[in-house]
Amino acid sequence: MALIEIRNLHKTFGTHHALAGINLEVEEFDLKVVMGPSGCGKSTLLRCLNRLVEPTSGDIRFRGESTLAASVDVRKLRQSIGFVFQQFALYRHLTALENVTLGLRKLRGLSKAESRDKALFELNRLDMAPHKDKYPAQLSGGQKQRVAIARALAMDPAVVLFDEPTSALDPLMVREVAELFNRLRRENVTMLCVTHDLTLARQIADSVVFLDEGVVKAESSIAHMVSEHAEVQVRNFFGGDDMAQST
Amino acid sequence: MSGWAIFLGDLVEQSPLIVSGLVRTLQLAVTVSVTGFLLGVVVFYFSISRNRWLQSFWRAYISFFIGMPLIVLLFLMYFGLPQLGIRTTPFVVATVGFTLNIGAYNAAYLTTAYNGLDPVEIDAAWAQGFNDRQIFRYIILPQVLRLSVPALTNQCINNIKDSSVAFLIQYTEFFARVQELASTNFQFFKAYMLAAVVYLLLVSVIVLLARQLERRLLRRELTTKGV
Repeated sequence: MALIEIRNLHKTFGTHHALAGINLEVEEFDLKVVMGPSGCGKSTLLRCLNRLVEPTSGDIRFRGESTLAASVDVRKLRQSIGFVFQQFALYRHLTALENVTLGLRKLRGLSKAESRDKALFELNRLDMAPHKDKYPAQLSGGQKQRVAIARALAMDPAVVLFDEPTSALDPLMVREVAELFNRLRRENVTMLCVTHDLTLARQIADSVVFLDEGVVKAESSIAHMVSEHAEVQVRNFFGGDDMAQST
Repeated sequence: MSGWAIFLGDLVEQSPLIVSGLVRTLQLAVTVSVTGFLLGVVVFYFSISRNRWLQSFWRAYISFFIGMPLIVLLFLMYFGLPQLGIRTTPFVVATVGFTLNIGAYNAAYLTTAYNGLDPVEIDAAWAQGFNDRQIFRYIILPQVLRLSVPALTNQCINNIKDSSVAFLIQYTEFFARVQELASTNFQFFKAYMLAAVVYLLLVSVIVLLARQLERRLLRRELTTKGV
């Protein structure tokens, strides 16, 4: 049984179909990368998974249970699904350490000492312990991202969702982010990452899901998407035809 | 006797009343600063609610009480309500009237600060599993309070000055006692100058305290902004 199963998921905003029947599975300890052009529904898909956005129809099963049932405790569900935002979304008035401890204390009910220990462990895991007393504005983009990841991991989520993890970073940071993803994968962190950054995707994923106009158009290795995929649009997105023309 | 001698003589004679008036002024100003602040936070909480009805109601509250002159509200309550059989003391009327008015202003200051927050922080808090009340308490309120300190302290200064209108509903505060002093000896200029100086001194204390608080917060703000 997959950790997350998405079945025929639809989301409409007025007349716009952001998601038009998504089918997707995420296995435990998997690193699934979803790619697609801007506006294809990637971020909406992520937000539906933890119900920041309510799907119009379809189903999402998390550990076999529907997350859309009326009986679901949405707050508990969200605590099981970490979310790292595009702009990192750290709380500006709190230090790096406080950003991580807040959820542990107020949601998990840990004591001050327990939450501090756990937060320091996570910050240390992401090489951010030396910066624990800094405020978000005193951190670089990459450091903010690490704190945001530490904040998500501290809650021991079953899966961490990443929304465009490199879009707010310097292009030179992509390799660093890729190394971080690969390290987390080795540590058995289940991750679902939406991105349009092909460089990142190549470095972290063997296969990717291509999303366009609210549906999954393809799921295979990047090499296959580049050279052999039947649809020109897919080959174009992955730079296949451009590469062919330039060679 | 010269004008000054008469004035000073009456001032000394009436000083117990004037001091008690001053105490009542401070009593009213401090009370309504606290109740107005608390009401402002409550109104602000509901005015940013995700429930549209609640939001509209409390936003209308803010507009209504900011739009209504304080003196009209006080007269309505003090002279109007007894016609409906509701009678109470001038202090209660002043406290309720000022609180309704100040609460609306404070809520508006907090809303302005809230509009400057990054909405993605709220999304992040929801995504973490916080409920609305926790988000308000741990994410929104600490930030908007810090941003609103200058406006909130200005409101406290206004509360001291505006408390003088309470004498119009027979609340015998400082200004009412100064009026009495002036009407005893007709030394209006001296009496009102005395009132002006006393209000200035009171306000100066608040300004000094507010500046200290603002300096402390600014130092922290510069740290959080990475300067």
